[in-house]
Formats: sequence, C-alpha cells, structure tokens
Amino acid sequence: MTLNLCVLTPNRIIWDSEVKEIILSTNSGQIGVLPNHAPIATAVDIGLLRIRLNNDQWLTVALMGGFARIGNNEITILGNDAEISTDIDPQEAQQALEIAEANLSGAEGKRQAIEANLALRRARTRVEAVNVISYTS
Amino acid sequence: MSCSNLAPMWASSANPPHLDRFSPIAFFSALRLPSAGASTRRFRSATTISCGLRELRNRIDSVKNTQKITEAMKLVAAAKVRRAQEAVVNSRPFSETLVEVLYSLNERLQTEDVDVPLTRVRPVRKVALLVVTSDRGLCGGFNNGIIKKAEQRIAELSALGIAYTVISVGKKGGTYFQRRPYIPVDRFLEAGNLPTTKKAQAIADEVFSLFVSEEVDKVELLYTRFVSLVKSDPVIQTLLPLSPKGEICDANGVCVDAAEDEFFRLTTKEGKLTVERETVRIPTPSFSPIMEFEQDPVQILDALLPLYLNSQILRALQESLASEVSARMAAMSNATDNAVELKRTLAISYNRERQAKITGEILEIIAGADALS
Repeated sequence: MTLNLCVLTPNRIIWDSEVKEIILSTNSGQIGVLPNHAPIATAVDIGLLRIRLNNDQWLTVALMGGFARIGNNEITILGNDAEISTDIDPQEAQQALEIAEANLSGAEGKRQAIEANLALRRARTRVEAVNVISYTS
Repeated sequence: MSCSNLAPMWASSANPPHLDRFSPIAFFSALRLPSAGASTRRFRSATTISCGLRELRNRIDSVKNTQKITEAMKLVAAAKVRRAQEAVVNSRPFSETLVEVLYSLNERLQTEDVDVPLTRVRPVRKVALLVVTSDRGLCGGFNNGIIKKAEQRIAELSALGIAYTVISVGKKGGTYFQRRPYIPVDRFLEAGNLPTTKKAQAIADEVFSLFVSEEVDKVELLYTRFVSLVKSDPVIQTLLPLSPKGEICDANGVCVDAAEDEFFRLTTKEGKLTVERETVRIPTPSFSPIMEFEQDPVQILDALLPLYLNSQILRALQESLASEVSARMAAMSNATDNAVELKRTLAISYNRERQAKITGEILEIIAGADALS
C-alpha cells in the first residue's frame, strides 16, 4: 500500500506520484504520514516537506505554506509555492536570505514588518532545503 | 531640378487623353514646368514620395527589413498565445482542488462566525487599485485600454470622496503613472516574461500587507480579460476582502460563484485559429464526515485564503499576458500588411523614376545627335 502524493502550486503540478511516507510541517508541529493514515485536513506552514520515495531515498521540498488534505491514501497538498531542493541554487538562496535579513532590520511600520517577516521565513526555508543532510534508512 | 514634382507630373500627364504618353514633346513640356507641377499633385496615393533613386532604394530596403521584423514578431506572438493558454490549463488543477476544499470547509463552518483577516469587511476609506499592464510596447491598444479603465475608476472613486492608491504592475503602467505625480502610487512592479508563482506571491504579499495593516480597506484588480484573438476586455475585480465562499466579485458587487471556472482554449475552427471560452462547473464533493481538522477550521480557512488570493492574482496575470500577446499579434500583422503596401507604392515610384531617367538620357542623346547632324 503506497500513498499517492499530489503537490500543486498555482502555476503547475510539482509532484504527482506514489511515495512511501511524508513528513509535513504544519502550524501545530510536524506530522508524519504513513499509509492508511486517518483522514485529516490541515494548514501547512512555511517549511520543509520531506518525501520518502519507493526506493527509500528522501527528497526535500521547500513549501511556502498552504493546505494539505490527507485521506484514503491520497494526499493533496496545495502550496503557495514549492521548490524541490535539487532545483534550488545554494548561492542564490543564501544571497536571498541575506537580503531578506537586511530588509527585516530596515523595515519600518507594521506593514513592512509583515512583508519582511514572510520573506525571511521563505528564504530561510529555501536555504534549509538545500542544506538538509539526506540520509537513507 | 525638384524631383518631387516630376512624379505627379508624370502621373497627371498619363490622364489627359490628348497627350500621347510616349511623345517626347509632351515629356519635354513636363520637364520644363517644374514649379507649375507643385500645385497639381494628383498622385494616386496621398503620400509625397521623396526624389532620388538612391533614396527610394534605401527606403525600400528599410521597409523590407521592417516587414521582416514585424512578421517575425507576429509569429512569436502567435506562439506565445499558445504558451499562455497552456499556462492557464496548468493552473487549473490547483484552482479546482482549492475550490473543492473551500466549499467543503464552508459547509462545515456554516454555523460558525468566520472572522479571518482577509475577509473582514470594513467601511471603505481607501482603495488600492492593482493595475496590470505590459512591460513591452508594440501591442496596439492594449495598455491604453487598461489605463483608461484605471483612470475611469479613479475618477469614480474621487467623485465618491474615497482615497486611492495604485499598485502598478508592468513597465508601461509604471512610466504612465510616473509622469503623473498627482496619482499616488504605492509600488512599481515589473511583469516579466511569464507570470510565475513567485511574482504573484510578491504582488500578493504587497496587497496582503496593505489590507491587513488597515492601510486600505478594499483592493481592486484591474486586468485585461482575454475574450478572443481580436478582442480583449479590461475588467475590474474586487480582490480583497475575499468572500469566505470564494466568490469573485466585480467592482459593482456582481458576484460570480467560484465553482464556475471560466477558462479559454485555443482551437481551430474552419482552419482558422480561434479562442473559445468555457465555463466549467467544478464538482464540489463535501469532505468525508470523518475528516478531522488538525487545527481549528478558522485557522485552516486562514491558510486557504492566501492560496486563493495567489491563484486569483496569477490568473489575472496570465490572462493579461494572453491579451497582450494577442494584441501584439494583431498589431504586428497590421504593420506587416502596411509594410507590404508601402513597399509596393515605393517600388512603383522607383520604377517610374528609373524610366524617367532613362527616357531623359535617350532624349539628350537624340537631341545631341540632332544638333550635330
């Protein structure tokens, strides 16, 4: 029994195939989903999505928040944006993180602070996705 | 000798039947009256063709080059319309699933009071107008249309005494608003070649922070809807506050159900490329009753609505791009036709000049030979 995972973003489908297990970051912590999980609907935070493929290799996806619906061995994740870690350029991600940090320290007013915070969290997630140590179990 | 008068004289001498066109005398009389010819400009096309064989040849060459460029631009634009359509098709799975989820969630939440920041309806004191234009020109009346609509809306809002600010997407809108400092502009963004989620996210962030920090009470989206290959429609849609059911409302409060997704499709009809718009009702099954919410349903709605905002903005950008590209296709096609016409006119007058020159030389030779004998 394998899970069917579908990761959708507004402009394309990032992932649509079978996996063994996923680890999802939600607003209330990380949850691991194995086959035959109880049906739940949850909001997804800006963070990493770890996918365990059929050959027991782990894949990391930087997910920028959204929603996940798990039921009947079908997982549908709707994300604002999602990038597979192999598609992220480490240099560029690091630079983006530094720019976001600079923006946050220079932000004035509630509005700029909100924007800067979001941008920082996203940049941090992308850098984490590239740096994560992949392990095989 | 002012050559610009020769051409009209040559043409007008063709008309009167008593003058034999090939008689040298008639031509000599034409040659002798350069100034009188200026008033009788009965040339077939209304343009004044400049004189000189070399200049004419240069002009013909430059028109030929321009024609090549405009034709290439037309073909590129045609390819881009297809790509724009594919982009819209690719975004459908997301919006379909989103609407399904929104509907099921709303069914569950019907009895509860939903108070999510993005749906808060406040008395409107300030409105943000998100205007989508293009980065590049040469697209006919595309940018003009949307900017005129924006100006109209600004006038309406000023008449109602509501303050406004503009978020301009696209270089053309940017240059327009920059030249008018009396219109407050919040941010200039560039549209880029292809609308990506990152760009839509950047715009959504801007709009989100403006709305949530209560700097504006309403956000309206002005973009061009892609109706057909020759027609596009600038429309105004209310982006924020969102209705929890996911309805899409326009500025007058006319709301369309989000489950009715309308999208365009490029097909061929009778061998010609056409666009069909289809309205599809998305099936909205409810959640299975045992589906648990990991968080509070309101929190989940809070996470869903930014997704909805993003997908709306992205769809608007995609449709805008499709309209821009089809407008460019039409404009470049017209330009190519005009170039062909102009080349024809120039070629005709070039040949006339050439023949006139040859005839003149022949006459000189004859006159010279006459004088000698």
